[in-house]
Amino acid sequence: MSLRILVVGEAQNGRLAGSTLEAIGKARALAGPDGVVGFLAGPHPEALADFAQHGVATVWSASDPRLDEVPVGAISPFVMGVAESVHPDLILLGGTTFGRDMAGHLGARGHAPVATGVTEITRVEGGLRVRRPIFGGRATETRRLEGNRAVVALRPHAFPAPAPAPVSPEVRPVATGDIPPRWLAPKRTGVDAPSAGAGPGLADATIVVSGGRGVRTADNFHLVEELAASLGAAVGASRAVTDAGWRPPSLQVGQTGRTVSPQLYVAVGISGAIQHLVGMVSSRVIVAINSDASAPIFKVADVGVVGDLFQIVPALTREIRKTRGLA
Amino acid sequence: MEIVVCVKPVPDPETRLRASPDGSALDTEGVKFMLAGYDESAVEQALLLKESVPGSKVHAVSFGPAPRTEEVLRAAIALGCDQATWVEAPAGAPGDPMVAARALADVIGKLPHDLVLCGKQAGDEESGVVAAALGELLQIPDFGCVLSPRWDAAQNLLTFRRATESGEEAWVAPLPCVVGLQQAWNDPRTAKLPAILKSRKAPIAHASAAPEAGDHSVGERFELPPPRTGAKLIEFKTPEEAATKLVRYLREEAKVFP
Repeated sequence: MSLRILVVGEAQNGRLAGSTLEAIGKARALAGPDGVVGFLAGPHPEALADFAQHGVATVWSASDPRLDEVPVGAISPFVMGVAESVHPDLILLGGTTFGRDMAGHLGARGHAPVATGVTEITRVEGGLRVRRPIFGGRATETRRLEGNRAVVALRPHAFPAPAPAPVSPEVRPVATGDIPPRWLAPKRTGVDAPSAGAGPGLADATIVVSGGRGVRTADNFHLVEELAASLGAAVGASRAVTDAGWRPPSLQVGQTGRTVSPQLYVAVGISGAIQHLVGMVSSRVIVAINSDASAPIFKVADVGVVGDLFQIVPALTREIRKTRGLA
Repeated sequence: MEIVVCVKPVPDPETRLRASPDGSALDTEGVKFMLAGYDESAVEQALLLKESVPGSKVHAVSFGPAPRTEEVLRAAIALGCDQATWVEAPAGAPGDPMVAARALADVIGKLPHDLVLCGKQAGDEESGVVAAALGELLQIPDFGCVLSPRWDAAQNLLTFRRATESGEEAWVAPLPCVVGLQQAWNDPRTAKLPAILKSRKAPIAHASAAPEAGDHSVGERFELPPPRTGAKLIEFKTPEEAATKLVRYLREEAKVFP
Protein backbone atom coordinates (compact mmCIF):
# COMPACT_ATOMS: atom_id res chain seq x y z
CA MET A 1 0.00 0.00 0.00
CA SER A 2 1.30 3.41 -0.81
CA LEU A 3 2.24 5.97 1.78
CA ARG A 4 0.17 9.02 2.51
CA ILE A 5 2.06 12.10 3.61
CA LEU A 6 0.86 15.42 4.99
CA VAL A 7 3.38 18.22 4.41
CA VAL A 8 2.90 21.10 6.86
CA GLY A 9 4.06 24.17 4.99
CA GLU A 10 5.58 27.42 6.19
CA ALA A 11 5.23 30.75 4.43
CA GLN A 12 8.11 33.19 4.28
CA ASN A 13 7.43 36.59 2.77
CA GLY A 14 4.22 35.21 1.32
CA ARG A 15 5.86 32.34 -0.56
CA LEU A 16 6.46 28.75 0.46
CA ALA A 17 9.74 28.50 2.39
CA GLY A 18 12.63 26.65 0.75
CA SER A 19 12.53 24.21 3.66
CA THR A 20 8.94 23.30 2.77
CA LEU A 21 9.91 22.74 -0.87
CA GLU A 22 12.61 20.33 0.35
CA ALA A 23 9.92 18.49 2.33
CA ILE A 24 7.62 18.36 -0.71
CA GLY A 25 10.43 16.90 -2.81
CA LYS A 26 11.10 14.16 -0.28
CA ALA A 27 7.39 13.48 0.22
CA ARG A 28 6.84 13.06 -3.51
CA ALA A 29 9.83 10.72 -3.75
CA LEU A 30 8.40 8.57 -0.94
CA ALA A 31 4.70 8.61 -1.73
CA GLY A 32 4.35 9.68 -5.35
CA PRO A 33 2.46 12.85 -6.25
CA ASP A 34 -0.92 11.35 -5.43
CA GLY A 35 0.15 10.43 -1.91
CA VAL A 36 1.00 13.96 -0.79
CA VAL A 37 -1.32 16.62 0.60
CA GLY A 38 -0.40 19.96 2.11
CA PHE A 39 -1.39 22.17 5.01
CA LEU A 40 -0.74 25.89 5.31
CA ALA A 41 -1.62 28.38 8.05
CA GLY A 42 -2.22 32.03 7.28
CA PRO A 43 -3.54 33.93 4.24
CA HIS A 44 -0.86 33.23 1.63
CA PRO A 45 -2.35 32.57 -1.83
CA GLU A 46 1.04 32.59 -3.54
CA ALA A 47 2.40 30.02 -1.11
CA LEU A 48 -0.68 27.85 -1.78
CA ALA A 49 0.09 28.16 -5.49
CA ASP A 50 3.68 27.07 -4.77
CA PHE A 51 2.33 23.76 -3.47
CA ALA A 52 0.49 23.13 -6.77
CA GLN A 53 3.50 24.36 -8.73
CA HIS A 54 5.50 21.56 -7.10
CA GLY A 55 3.02 18.78 -7.67
CA VAL A 56 0.86 18.93 -4.52
CA ALA A 57 -2.69 19.49 -5.70
CA THR A 58 -4.64 19.22 -2.46
CA VAL A 59 -3.78 21.78 0.18
CA TRP A 60 -5.72 22.42 3.36
CA SER A 61 -5.66 26.13 3.98
CA ALA A 62 -6.31 27.70 7.38
CA SER A 63 -6.22 31.18 5.92
CA ASP A 64 -7.16 32.98 9.16
CA PRO A 65 -4.73 35.93 9.33
CA ARG A 66 -4.45 35.60 13.11
CA LEU A 67 -2.45 32.40 12.55
CA ASP A 68 0.52 34.43 11.33
CA GLU A 69 0.82 36.01 14.76
CA VAL A 70 0.21 33.18 17.21
CA PRO A 71 2.41 30.62 18.95
CA VAL A 72 2.66 27.23 17.25
CA GLY A 73 0.37 25.68 19.85
CA ALA A 74 -2.56 27.64 18.41
CA ILE A 75 -2.05 26.04 15.00
CA SER A 76 -1.36 22.43 15.93
CA PRO A 77 -5.04 21.56 16.60
CA PHE A 78 -5.94 22.55 13.02
CA VAL A 79 -3.16 20.35 11.61
CA MET A 80 -4.40 17.47 13.74
CA GLY A 81 -7.93 18.12 12.52
CA VAL A 82 -6.73 17.75 8.94
CA ALA A 83 -4.74 14.64 9.88
CA GLU A 84 -7.96 13.11 11.19
CA SER A 85 -9.50 13.51 7.73
CA VAL A 86 -6.43 12.59 5.69
CA HIS A 87 -4.98 9.76 7.85
CA PRO A 88 -1.35 10.34 6.90
CA ASP A 89 1.29 7.73 7.70
CA LEU A 90 3.75 10.57 7.98
CA ILE A 91 3.50 14.26 8.81
CA LEU A 92 6.53 15.90 7.24
CA LEU A 93 7.98 19.35 7.98
CA GLY A 94 10.90 21.48 6.87
CA GLY A 95 14.00 21.92 8.98
CA THR A 96 13.19 25.30 10.53
CA THR A 97 12.32 26.61 13.99
CA PHE A 98 8.66 26.35 13.01
CA GLY A 99 9.11 22.82 11.65
CA ARG A 100 10.81 21.56 14.75
CA ASP A 101 8.39 23.24 17.16
CA MET A 102 5.38 22.03 15.20
CA ALA A 103 6.82 18.49 15.14
CA GLY A 104 6.98 18.55 18.94
CA HIS A 105 3.39 19.71 19.18
CA LEU A 106 2.03 17.19 16.70
CA GLY A 107 3.91 14.30 18.27
CA ALA A 108 2.66 15.23 21.72
CA ARG A 109 -0.90 15.82 20.58
CA GLY A 110 -1.12 12.74 18.39
CA HIS A 111 0.96 10.48 20.63
CA ALA A 112 3.18 9.79 17.63
CA PRO A 113 6.93 9.22 17.47
CA VAL A 114 8.92 12.27 16.36
CA ALA A 115 12.29 12.68 14.71
CA THR A 116 13.95 15.97 13.79
CA GLY A 117 17.06 16.89 11.82
CA VAL A 118 16.42 13.90 9.57
CA THR A 119 18.65 13.19 6.58
CA GLU A 120 17.11 9.91 5.32
CA ILE A 121 13.67 8.32 5.50
CA THR A 122 12.85 4.79 4.43
CA ARG A 123 9.77 2.69 4.87
CA VAL A 124 10.10 -0.49 6.90
CA GLU A 125 7.77 -3.14 8.27
CA GLY A 126 5.62 -1.52 10.96
CA GLY A 127 6.82 2.03 10.52
CA LEU A 128 9.57 4.21 9.15
CA ARG A 129 13.32 4.26 9.54
CA VAL A 130 15.18 7.56 9.73
CA ARG A 131 18.79 8.62 9.94
CA ARG A 132 19.91 11.78 11.67
CA PRO A 133 23.19 13.33 12.75
CA ILE A 134 23.60 13.67 16.52
CA PHE A 135 26.28 14.98 18.88
CA GLY A 136 26.88 17.98 16.63
CA GLY A 137 27.47 15.75 13.63
CA ARG A 138 30.05 13.63 15.45
CA ALA A 139 27.77 10.58 15.11
CA THR A 140 24.73 9.41 13.18
CA GLU A 141 21.83 7.46 14.54
CA THR A 142 19.32 5.24 12.80
CA ARG A 143 15.92 5.20 14.48
CA ARG A 144 12.78 3.21 13.85
CA LEU A 145 9.57 5.18 14.24
CA GLU A 146 6.99 2.63 15.24
CA GLY A 147 3.30 2.62 14.55
CA ASN A 148 1.04 3.95 11.88
CA ARG A 149 1.84 7.65 12.13
CA ALA A 150 5.15 9.42 12.53
CA VAL A 151 6.13 13.08 12.60
CA VAL A 152 9.40 14.05 10.94
CA ALA A 153 11.17 17.38 10.50
CA LEU A 154 14.01 17.30 7.97
CA ARG A 155 17.51 18.62 8.39
CA PRO A 156 17.96 21.90 6.50
CA HIS A 157 19.49 21.39 3.04
CA ALA A 158 19.63 17.61 3.39
CA PHE A 159 17.27 17.23 0.44
CA PRO A 160 17.18 19.20 -2.81
CA ALA A 161 14.23 21.37 -3.70
CA PRO A 162 12.16 19.51 -6.31
CA ALA A 163 11.81 20.59 -9.91
CA PRO A 164 8.46 22.27 -10.62
CA ALA A 165 5.70 19.87 -11.63
CA PRO A 166 2.57 22.00 -11.94
CA VAL A 167 -0.83 20.51 -11.20
CA SER A 168 -4.14 22.27 -10.85
CA PRO A 169 -4.68 23.32 -7.27
CA GLU A 170 -7.48 22.14 -5.07
CA VAL A 171 -7.62 24.28 -1.95
CA ARG A 172 -9.68 23.01 0.95
CA PRO A 173 -10.53 25.63 3.55
CA VAL A 174 -9.96 24.82 7.22
CA ALA A 175 -12.34 26.63 9.57
CA THR A 176 -10.56 28.09 12.56
CA GLY A 177 -13.46 29.61 14.51
CA ASP A 178 -12.71 30.65 18.06
CA ILE A 179 -9.11 30.46 19.17
CA PRO A 180 -8.80 30.19 22.96
CA PRO A 181 -7.68 33.54 24.42
CA ARG A 182 -4.49 32.12 25.95
CA TRP A 183 -3.12 31.49 22.45
CA LEU A 184 -3.93 35.03 21.34
CA ALA A 185 -2.49 36.77 24.41
CA PRO A 186 1.20 36.61 23.43
CA LYS A 187 2.02 39.34 20.93
CA ARG A 188 4.76 39.67 18.39
CA THR A 189 5.70 43.32 18.60
CA GLY A 190 8.28 43.49 15.84
CA VAL A 191 10.54 41.67 13.42
CA ASP A 192 14.03 42.74 12.46
CA ALA A 193 15.18 41.28 9.20
CA PRO A 194 18.33 39.20 9.64
CA SER A 195 20.87 41.56 11.15
CA ALA A 196 22.28 44.32 9.04
CA GLY A 197 24.22 43.24 5.98
CA ALA A 198 24.72 39.81 7.47
CA GLY A 199 23.53 37.99 4.35
CA PRO A 200 21.74 34.72 4.99
CA GLY A 201 21.11 33.56 8.57
CA LEU A 202 23.72 31.22 10.01
CA ALA A 203 21.32 28.37 10.63
CA ASP A 204 20.18 27.94 7.06
CA ALA A 205 23.11 29.28 5.05
CA THR A 206 24.60 26.99 2.42
CA ILE A 207 28.01 28.63 2.89
CA VAL A 208 29.42 29.87 6.21
CA VAL A 209 32.65 31.83 6.66
CA SER A 210 33.82 32.04 10.28
CA GLY A 211 36.65 33.97 11.88
CA GLY A 212 38.59 33.14 15.02
CA ARG A 213 41.24 34.41 17.37
CA GLY A 214 43.77 34.56 14.51
CA VAL A 215 41.96 37.65 13.21
CA ARG A 216 43.50 39.40 16.26
CA THR A 217 41.24 42.45 16.60
CA ALA A 218 37.64 43.50 16.10
CA ASP A 219 38.76 45.93 13.41
CA ASN A 220 40.30 43.13 11.35
CA PHE A 221 37.10 41.10 11.31
CA HIS A 222 35.92 42.90 8.18
CA LEU A 223 38.32 40.62 6.24
CA VAL A 224 36.14 37.66 7.22
CA GLU A 225 32.97 39.57 6.40
CA GLU A 226 34.22 40.61 2.97
CA LEU A 227 35.13 37.03 2.14
CA ALA A 228 31.66 35.96 3.26
CA ALA A 229 30.06 38.68 1.14
CA SER A 230 31.99 37.56 -1.94
CA LEU A 231 30.55 34.05 -1.48
CA GLY A 232 27.05 35.14 -0.48
CA ALA A 233 27.79 33.37 2.79
CA ALA A 234 26.67 33.83 6.38
CA VAL A 235 29.28 35.10 8.85
CA GLY A 236 30.17 33.02 11.88
CA ALA A 237 32.71 33.32 14.65
CA SER A 238 34.51 31.18 17.17
CA ARG A 239 33.92 31.59 20.87
CA ALA A 240 37.19 33.53 21.23
CA VAL A 241 35.73 36.25 18.99
CA THR A 242 32.34 36.50 20.69
CA ASP A 243 33.85 36.29 24.19
CA ALA A 244 36.16 39.17 23.30
CA GLY A 245 33.13 41.14 22.12
CA TRP A 246 34.50 41.58 18.60
CA ARG A 247 31.22 40.31 17.24
CA PRO A 248 27.85 39.50 18.92
CA PRO A 249 27.22 36.10 20.56
CA SER A 250 24.55 35.35 17.95
CA LEU A 251 27.36 34.64 15.46
CA GLN A 252 29.02 32.00 17.60
CA VAL A 253 29.40 28.55 16.03
CA GLY A 254 30.09 25.69 18.44
CA GLN A 255 28.99 23.82 21.52
CA THR A 256 27.58 26.91 23.22
CA GLY A 257 26.55 28.65 20.00
CA ARG A 258 24.98 27.47 16.78
CA THR A 259 25.43 24.17 15.05
CA VAL A 260 25.72 24.58 11.31
CA SER A 261 26.01 22.07 8.49
CA PRO A 262 26.46 24.07 5.30
CA GLN A 263 27.75 22.82 1.97
CA LEU A 264 30.94 24.81 2.55
CA TYR A 265 32.48 25.98 5.81
CA VAL A 266 35.50 28.28 5.69
CA ALA A 267 37.40 28.62 8.99
CA VAL A 268 39.64 31.67 9.07
CA GLY A 269 42.16 31.93 11.89
CA ILE A 270 40.32 29.29 13.92
CA SER A 271 42.49 26.74 15.71
CA GLY A 272 39.69 24.19 16.03
CA ALA A 273 39.01 23.53 19.72
CA ILE A 274 36.53 20.69 20.22
CA GLN A 275 34.09 23.35 21.45
CA HIS A 276 34.07 24.81 17.96
CA LEU A 277 34.37 21.57 16.00
CA VAL A 278 31.14 20.08 17.35
CA GLY A 279 29.27 23.01 15.85
CA MET A 280 30.55 22.65 12.29
CA VAL A 281 32.11 19.25 11.71
CA SER A 282 29.09 17.96 9.78
CA SER A 283 29.60 20.59 7.07
CA ARG A 284 30.05 18.95 3.69
CA VAL A 285 33.31 20.64 2.72
CA ILE A 286 35.56 22.34 5.26
CA VAL A 287 38.30 24.80 4.29
CA ALA A 288 40.80 26.03 6.89
CA ILE A 289 43.10 29.03 6.66
CA ASN A 290 45.51 29.27 9.58
CA SER A 291 49.16 30.16 10.14
CA ASP A 292 49.73 27.24 12.52
CA ALA A 293 50.16 23.99 10.59
CA SER A 294 49.61 21.99 13.79
CA ALA A 295 46.18 23.57 14.50
CA PRO A 296 43.54 20.85 15.07
CA ILE A 297 41.27 22.46 12.48
CA PHE A 298 43.48 20.92 9.77
CA LYS A 299 42.55 17.45 11.05
CA VAL A 300 38.88 17.94 10.20
CA ALA A 301 39.28 20.21 7.17
CA ASP A 302 39.17 18.82 3.64
CA VAL A 303 41.53 21.39 2.29
CA GLY A 304 43.84 23.78 4.11
CA VAL A 305 46.03 26.77 3.51
CA VAL A 306 48.85 27.20 6.02
CA GLY A 307 49.67 30.87 5.79
CA ASP A 308 49.09 34.41 6.90
CA LEU A 309 45.38 35.08 6.78
CA PHE A 310 45.98 38.80 6.40
CA GLN A 311 47.46 38.04 2.97
CA ILE A 312 45.53 34.92 1.97
CA VAL A 313 42.02 36.12 2.79
CA PRO A 314 42.10 39.39 0.77
CA ALA A 315 43.62 37.51 -2.18
CA LEU A 316 40.91 34.86 -1.92
CA THR A 317 38.16 37.49 -1.71
CA ARG A 318 39.52 39.16 -4.87
CA GLU A 319 39.77 35.83 -6.70
CA ILE A 320 36.22 34.84 -5.80
CA ARG A 321 34.82 38.23 -6.77
CA LYS A 322 36.65 37.96 -10.10
CA THR A 323 35.40 34.42 -10.68
CA ARG A 324 31.84 35.40 -9.89
CA GLY A 325 32.03 38.47 -12.10
CA LEU A 326 31.66 40.87 -9.17
CA ALA A 327 34.82 42.71 -10.23
CA MET B 1 7.76 33.75 39.84
CA GLU B 2 7.71 29.95 40.01
CA ILE B 3 10.32 28.83 37.49
CA VAL B 4 10.76 25.23 36.37
CA VAL B 5 13.96 24.44 34.49
CA CYS B 6 14.32 21.15 32.59
CA VAL B 7 17.76 19.60 32.41
CA LYS B 8 19.22 16.40 31.01
CA PRO B 9 22.49 14.67 31.80
CA VAL B 10 24.60 14.54 28.65
CA PRO B 11 28.04 13.09 27.99
CA ASP B 12 30.95 15.44 28.66
CA PRO B 13 31.39 17.25 25.32
CA GLU B 14 35.01 16.07 25.28
CA THR B 15 33.95 12.41 25.39
CA ARG B 16 35.39 10.15 22.72
CA LEU B 17 32.23 8.60 21.28
CA ARG B 18 31.95 4.82 20.78
CA ALA B 19 29.11 2.57 19.73
CA SER B 20 27.79 0.03 22.21
CA PRO B 21 28.74 -3.63 21.58
CA ASP B 22 25.49 -4.30 19.70
CA GLY B 23 25.94 -1.10 17.67
CA SER B 24 22.52 0.29 18.56
CA ALA B 25 23.46 3.18 20.83
CA LEU B 26 26.23 5.20 22.40
CA ASP B 27 28.46 3.09 24.62
CA THR B 28 27.98 4.81 27.99
CA GLU B 29 30.55 2.61 29.76
CA GLY B 30 32.98 4.95 31.50
CA VAL B 31 31.34 8.06 30.03
CA LYS B 32 31.11 11.05 32.35
CA PHE B 33 27.66 12.63 32.29
CA MET B 34 27.15 16.24 33.24
CA LEU B 35 25.03 19.35 33.10
CA ALA B 36 26.33 20.93 29.91
CA GLY B 37 25.74 23.18 26.94
CA TYR B 38 22.25 24.61 26.51
CA ASP B 39 20.96 23.11 29.75
CA GLU B 40 23.70 24.74 31.78
CA SER B 41 22.68 28.01 30.13
CA ALA B 42 19.01 27.35 30.88
CA VAL B 43 19.87 27.01 34.58
CA GLU B 44 21.85 30.25 34.38
CA GLN B 45 18.89 32.02 32.77
CA ALA B 46 16.52 30.62 35.41
CA LEU B 47 18.79 31.94 38.18
CA LEU B 48 19.12 35.36 36.51
CA LEU B 49 15.32 35.66 36.31
CA LYS B 50 15.00 34.51 39.91
CA GLU B 51 17.44 37.20 40.99
CA SER B 52 15.56 39.87 39.04
CA VAL B 53 12.11 38.99 40.36
CA PRO B 54 11.91 39.03 44.17
CA GLY B 55 10.26 36.00 45.75
CA SER B 56 10.98 33.69 42.83
CA LYS B 57 11.88 30.02 43.13
CA VAL B 58 13.62 27.71 40.68
CA HIS B 59 12.69 24.05 40.53
CA ALA B 60 14.99 21.82 38.43
CA VAL B 61 13.38 18.76 36.83
CA SER B 62 15.08 15.95 34.97
CA PHE B 63 14.01 12.68 33.37
CA GLY B 64 16.52 9.88 33.12
CA PRO B 65 18.12 6.85 34.71
CA ALA B 66 20.10 6.52 37.93
CA PRO B 67 22.61 7.71 38.94
CA ARG B 68 23.45 10.42 36.46
CA THR B 69 20.08 12.17 36.51
CA GLU B 70 20.25 12.68 40.25
CA GLU B 71 23.82 13.96 39.85
CA VAL B 72 22.88 16.71 37.36
CA LEU B 73 20.07 17.78 39.65
CA ARG B 74 22.58 18.10 42.50
CA ALA B 75 24.74 20.18 40.18
CA ALA B 76 21.71 22.42 39.49
CA ILE B 77 21.08 22.79 43.24
CA ALA B 78 24.74 23.64 43.81
CA LEU B 79 24.37 26.42 41.24
CA GLY B 80 21.41 27.90 43.11
CA CYS B 81 18.21 26.04 42.18
CA ASP B 82 15.90 25.79 45.19
CA GLN B 83 14.36 22.38 44.60
CA ALA B 84 14.72 19.40 42.31
CA THR B 85 12.59 16.51 41.09
CA TRP B 86 14.00 13.41 39.48
CA VAL B 87 11.64 11.51 37.19
CA GLU B 88 13.21 8.11 37.00
CA ALA B 89 13.36 6.48 33.59
CA PRO B 90 13.18 2.71 33.78
CA ALA B 91 16.44 1.04 32.77
CA GLY B 92 16.39 0.26 29.07
CA ALA B 93 13.65 2.79 28.30
CA PRO B 94 13.87 3.94 24.68
CA GLY B 95 15.79 7.20 24.30
CA ASP B 96 12.72 8.84 22.88
CA PRO B 97 12.28 12.59 23.34
CA MET B 98 8.50 12.31 23.42
CA VAL B 99 8.68 9.77 26.24
CA ALA B 100 10.83 12.27 28.13
CA ALA B 101 8.44 15.13 27.36
CA ARG B 102 5.39 13.21 28.59
CA ALA B 103 7.16 12.18 31.79
CA LEU B 104 8.31 15.77 32.42
CA ALA B 105 4.84 17.18 31.65
CA ASP B 106 3.24 14.81 34.17
CA VAL B 107 5.50 16.14 36.90
CA ILE B 108 5.54 19.82 35.90
CA GLY B 109 1.75 19.84 35.65
CA LYS B 110 1.62 19.10 39.39
CA LEU B 111 4.18 21.78 40.32
CA PRO B 112 3.55 25.51 40.39
CA HIS B 113 4.88 26.64 37.02
CA ASP B 114 4.70 30.25 35.85
CA LEU B 115 7.62 29.79 33.51
CA VAL B 116 9.09 26.55 32.16
CA LEU B 117 12.60 26.95 30.76
CA CYS B 118 14.39 24.45 28.53
CA GLY B 119 17.66 24.55 26.66
CA LYS B 120 17.26 24.64 22.90
CA GLN B 121 18.25 21.02 22.64
CA ALA B 122 20.23 18.43 24.53
CA GLY B 123 23.83 18.15 23.43
CA ASP B 124 23.53 14.46 22.67
CA GLU B 125 20.38 13.60 20.72
CA GLU B 126 19.61 17.14 19.58
CA SER B 127 15.93 16.55 18.99
CA GLY B 128 14.94 19.96 20.31
CA VAL B 129 11.26 19.07 20.63
CA VAL B 130 10.77 18.88 24.39
CA ALA B 131 9.87 22.57 24.91
CA ALA B 132 7.23 22.43 22.16
CA ALA B 133 5.88 19.12 23.42
CA LEU B 134 5.61 20.54 26.95
CA GLY B 135 3.64 23.50 25.58
CA GLU B 136 1.22 21.13 23.90
CA LEU B 137 0.91 18.77 26.87
CA LEU B 138 0.55 21.54 29.46
CA GLN B 139 -1.63 23.55 27.04
CA ILE B 140 0.31 26.77 27.52
CA PRO B 141 2.08 28.80 24.82
CA ASP B 142 5.65 27.82 24.06
CA PHE B 143 8.36 29.69 22.22
CA GLY B 144 11.49 28.22 20.70
CA CYS B 145 14.81 29.91 19.87
CA VAL B 146 14.33 32.56 22.56
CA LEU B 147 17.05 35.09 23.31
CA SER B 148 17.34 36.99 26.60
CA PRO B 149 13.92 36.75 28.30
CA ARG B 150 13.19 39.58 30.76
CA TRP B 151 10.37 40.07 33.20
CA ASP B 152 8.49 43.34 32.81
CA ALA B 153 7.06 43.78 36.31
CA ALA B 154 5.09 46.90 35.42
CA GLN B 155 3.09 45.11 32.74
CA ASN B 156 3.24 41.58 34.15
CA LEU B 157 4.66 40.29 30.89
CA LEU B 158 7.66 38.32 29.80
CA THR B 159 9.50 40.13 27.01
CA PHE B 160 11.97 38.35 24.77
CA ARG B 161 13.40 38.08 21.29
CA ARG B 162 13.38 35.01 19.07
CA ALA B 163 16.00 34.16 16.48
CA THR B 164 14.08 32.55 13.62
CA GLU B 165 14.83 32.06 9.96
CA SER B 166 13.04 35.29 9.09
CA GLY B 167 15.07 37.39 11.49
CA GLU B 168 14.83 38.44 15.09
CA GLU B 169 11.31 38.74 16.41
CA ALA B 170 10.33 40.70 19.51
CA TRP B 171 7.56 39.20 21.68
CA VAL B 172 5.64 39.89 24.86
CA ALA B 173 3.78 37.07 26.58
CA PRO B 174 1.84 36.68 29.80
CA LEU B 175 2.66 33.74 32.04
CA PRO B 176 2.44 30.83 32.15
CA CYS B 177 4.49 29.83 29.17
CA VAL B 178 7.31 27.54 28.06
CA VAL B 179 10.51 29.01 26.73
CA GLY B 180 13.13 27.10 24.73
CA LEU B 181 16.33 29.09 24.89
CA GLN B 182 18.40 29.65 21.82
CA GLN B 183 21.21 31.37 23.54
CA ALA B 184 24.04 29.74 25.34
CA TRP B 185 26.06 31.60 27.90
CA ASN B 186 29.76 31.51 27.45
CA ASP B 187 30.34 32.09 31.10
CA PRO B 188 27.57 30.56 33.20
CA ARG B 189 28.31 30.74 36.92
CA THR B 190 30.22 27.91 38.53
CA ALA B 191 29.21 26.35 41.82
CA LYS B 192 31.15 27.23 44.95
CA LEU B 193 32.58 24.42 47.03
CA PRO B 194 30.33 24.94 50.10
CA ALA B 195 27.30 24.87 47.80
CA ILE B 196 28.53 21.69 46.15
CA LEU B 197 29.01 20.02 49.53
CA LYS B 198 25.58 21.16 50.69
CA SER B 199 23.94 19.95 47.47
CA ARG B 200 25.07 16.40 48.22
CA LYS B 201 22.65 16.26 51.11
CA ALA B 202 19.84 18.26 49.53
CA PRO B 203 16.55 16.41 49.29
CA ILE B 204 15.56 15.48 45.74
CA ALA B 205 11.97 14.56 45.10
CA HIS B 206 11.54 11.32 43.21
CA ALA B 207 8.82 10.41 40.76
CA SER B 208 8.39 7.39 38.55
CA ALA B 209 7.38 7.84 34.96
CA ALA B 210 3.93 6.48 34.22
CA PRO B 211 3.90 3.38 32.05
CA GLU B 212 3.98 4.45 28.43
CA ALA B 213 1.22 3.87 25.98
CA GLY B 214 1.49 4.69 22.32
CA ASP B 215 4.18 4.30 19.71
CA HIS B 216 7.83 4.98 20.20
CA SER B 217 10.95 5.70 18.31
CA VAL B 218 13.71 3.21 18.98
CA GLY B 219 17.41 3.61 18.33
CA GLU B 220 18.67 0.91 15.96
CA ARG B 221 22.19 1.95 15.05
CA PHE B 222 24.80 4.40 16.31
CA GLU B 223 27.54 5.13 13.80
CA LEU B 224 30.63 7.25 13.80
CA PRO B 225 31.66 8.91 10.56
CA PRO B 226 34.78 7.57 8.90
CA PRO B 227 37.66 9.51 10.42
CA ARG B 228 38.58 12.57 8.45
CA THR B 229 42.02 12.00 7.09
CA GLY B 230 43.24 15.54 7.51
CA ALA B 231 43.30 18.45 5.16
CA LYS B 232 44.89 18.36 1.77
CA LEU B 233 47.25 21.31 2.09
CA ILE B 234 47.56 23.74 -0.77
CA GLU B 235 51.11 24.51 -1.84
CA PHE B 236 51.79 28.07 -2.92
CA LYS B 237 54.44 30.73 -3.28
CA THR B 238 52.21 33.80 -3.27
CA PRO B 239 48.81 34.52 -1.66
CA GLU B 240 47.40 34.91 -5.18
CA GLU B 241 48.51 31.41 -6.09
CA ALA B 242 46.90 30.04 -2.90
CA ALA B 243 43.67 31.85 -3.77
CA THR B 244 43.61 30.57 -7.36
CA LYS B 245 44.25 26.98 -6.30
CA LEU B 246 41.65 27.14 -3.55
CA VAL B 247 38.96 28.49 -5.87
CA ARG B 248 39.83 25.79 -8.42
CA TYR B 249 39.45 23.13 -5.71
CA LEU B 250 36.09 24.52 -4.64
CA ARG B 251 34.80 24.62 -8.21
CA GLU B 252 36.20 21.47 -9.70
CA GLU B 253 36.59 19.00 -6.86
CA ALA B 254 34.28 20.08 -4.08
CA LYS B 255 31.73 21.51 -6.55
CA VAL B 256 30.44 23.96 -3.99
CA PHE B 257 31.01 26.93 -6.15
CA PRO B 258 29.52 27.96 -9.48
